[in-house]
Amino acid sequence: MKKTITDLEYGETGTIVEIRGFCQALNSLGIRTGKNVKMITRQPIKGPVVVIAGDVQVAMGCDLAAGVVVEIRGMSDGSA
Amino acid sequence: MGLRDRLFSSGSAAPHAGSGHEGVLLLIGNPNVGKSALFNRLTGGSATVSNYPGTTVDVTRGSLMADHQAREVIDVPGAYSLEPRDAAEEVAARIVGEYPDAIALVVLDATRIERGLYLLLQVLERRMRTAVAVNMIDAAHAKGILVDTAALQHLLGLPVVTTAATTGEGIKDLVGILHKAQVADLDAVGDRIAGKTPPPRAKLPGCAGCGRCG
Repeated sequence: MKKTITDLEYGETGTIVEIRGFCQALNSLGIRTGKNVKMITRQPIKGPVVVIAGDVQVAMGCDLAAGVVVEIRGMSDGSA
Repeated sequence: MGLRDRLFSSGSAAPHAGSGHEGVLLLIGNPNVGKSALFNRLTGGSATVSNYPGTTVDVTRGSLMADHQAREVIDVPGAYSLEPRDAAEEVAARIVGEYPDAIALVVLDATRIERGLYLLLQVLERRMRTAVAVNMIDAAHAKGILVDTAALQHLLGLPVVTTAATTGEGIKDLVGILHKAQVADLDAVGDRIAGKTPPPRAKLPGCAGCGRCG
């Protein structure tokens, strides 16, 4: 199942399959297709989303996050 | 002088004559990987060091005596990429642009090596002479992370050393490999990552010293 990062549940992990829009800013932070991410925080009212990508927490604005599509792998207790 | 001429110029001792920046050392790396701590170790300077990213937004300069020669060392603000998105990255990109003939010492965080490789690649694409310092190796060991520097050195064809700037571990090794910094052959790097053996490089000035260049 595919979702954008903004739709991930807390603790849900997935593999990035597509980045829509401007991806250079995210690429340099380690958000690339094929990477696993785990959602850890999402702020309400279109606030930023924080994910763990390879041991590093990355916070991204809602608009950027809405362009990142992941294939869901399930819930996880460990890091993504 | 084109890249090809520079790469294959026959063994001249100073292949980068001209700009006067050949001896300059740029510390380049992601925010919060220990560039300023390394800078202080190398120069005896007093750049502000703290345990959160974005401490350095301006440029600190110092000097280092190595091989009986003084080098200017420049502590570049942390950047995730050389296409700037904030003030610190703008300064970083500007300095890298101003010193194309300097030696780039790319500093990686040993606990998060992969994140720094993106910036390293951007530096290599600019055809700068480059050496790699895998810093915070003490923190990596504490986390049980081992870094195969020999493999990294072989893949990149660049000198790679591990350092712990806060304790001083590896600093002497680092100074010792600076003169081996060289321009990476990105085609060969791609070949090696793909598991192929790239054609042997012609007589290059300098050598990473890994002994496996063929």
